[in-house]
Amino acid sequence: MIDHFRPREYHRPNNLREATSLLSSFGKKAKVIAGGTDILVNKPSGLECLVDVASLDLDYIRKDEDGIHIGAATTLDLIESSPMLSSGPYAVLSEAASVVATPTVRNMATIGGNICNASPAADLPLALMVLDSTVRTVSLNGSRILPIGDFFEDVNKTKLRDDELLVEVHIPLSAETTGASFMKLRRHQTSVDIALVNVAAELTCPDDICEVARIALGAVAETPIYAKKAEELLTGKKLNEELIQKAAEAAAEESRPIDDLRASAGYRRRMVGVLVKRALEVSVRRCATWRK
Amino acid sequence: MAKVNINVGVNGRWYELAVEPQERLVDVLRDRLGLTGTKVGCGKGECGACTINIDGKAILSCLTLAVQADGKEILTIEGLQKGAELHPLQEAFVKEAAVQCGYCTPGMIMAAKAMLDCDSDPSEEAVREVLSSNLCRCTGYDRPVKAVIEAAKTMRGAK
Repeated sequence: MIDHFRPREYHRPNNLREATSLLSSFGKKAKVIAGGTDILVNKPSGLECLVDVASLDLDYIRKDEDGIHIGAATTLDLIESSPMLSSGPYAVLSEAASVVATPTVRNMATIGGNICNASPAADLPLALMVLDSTVRTVSLNGSRILPIGDFFEDVNKTKLRDDELLVEVHIPLSAETTGASFMKLRRHQTSVDIALVNVAAELTCPDDICEVARIALGAVAETPIYAKKAEELLTGKKLNEELIQKAAEAAAEESRPIDDLRASAGYRRRMVGVLVKRALEVSVRRCATWRK
Repeated sequence: MAKVNINVGVNGRWYELAVEPQERLVDVLRDRLGLTGTKVGCGKGECGACTINIDGKAILSCLTLAVQADGKEILTIEGLQKGAELHPLQEAFVKEAAVQCGYCTPGMIMAAKAMLDCDSDPSEEAVREVLSSNLCRCTGYDRPVKAVIEAAKTMRGAK
């Protein structure tokens, strides 16, 4: 086997200006490296320059009056174990992080990498989508803030421009009465394998009525998607078992899975229904717990 | 291809090396430093055979470039033994017969080492979770899990 992964240069810049200058001058011939758990598996050819983000101080989780800020180079093991993400709706993110690959991979893989790799089956984007998170990018031309739900364009393709670097994820403060949960189905539940189907849900229910519903589906379209029809069914309604079942069916209907070596499209679609139902049930229970 | 000069601390000794950007850390450890205890299995981050510790964390050396390790302190399986004296983890893997073909063993021990450095008394569940990073095709997980718990006991007693 010929190894085509031969980047000519490696840089570990100390500041964003230097990093974005490199991205700007090398364009498509530059790749960002963080944990390496995607790029060193895919080993792209034709690279001139690797830009390592390890010295940019992008590994942090901070909470302030405006929500939670997570640096793009924060590793998944830190997200999994952060006290800031251990309770309330934010815990949906640590739940998602805790089932990515293996513990050792999670010591290396970063939240920014999980987003930018743009796998249709990625776990963290779903949790971030139901939390209405945004991502911040920088380039020499300034900074952009994009809703995570708009960030994905196609399989392994995001709106990130060649000269841009993803620097931060922002999770806005959630209402006290919000509950969220994450579900992942794999061929073997303890294996390193990616999801057959993964789902995140979030419900805000100040009383019996559902004020806001968010449902995100993974591995059933080119990108992670919101199950918008299912969300609409729930919004403004009094939640009961029947309505949750209807929403789950609507989500399955909205999914656009494919057949592949892991599962058939039909199986995936049915499992969307099952996982969405479970995710909604857990979210409802969690809303009630926080209300008490 | 421009070579990059790096300084890496491996098992307590610092090395100055010139490496190419695409060189994997595992290859540098094995082929340049002769530390063949660290194994290459899948080369894709699925099997854990190449697990080492960098700054105290379990890391896959097949998915780490040598250039990324510049300035870091690395511990490999060879660094556990003190002279003729085996590390309690090595001792326990021998005692519990947790080794069959042995190919996954260095990775398992290094994953366990990083865990025990943070948590001196892990639950069996926690040990199983950590060892789920490491594939074994021979002997299964019961004996390695037992060995890690035994080693933890010994290490707590020694303190």
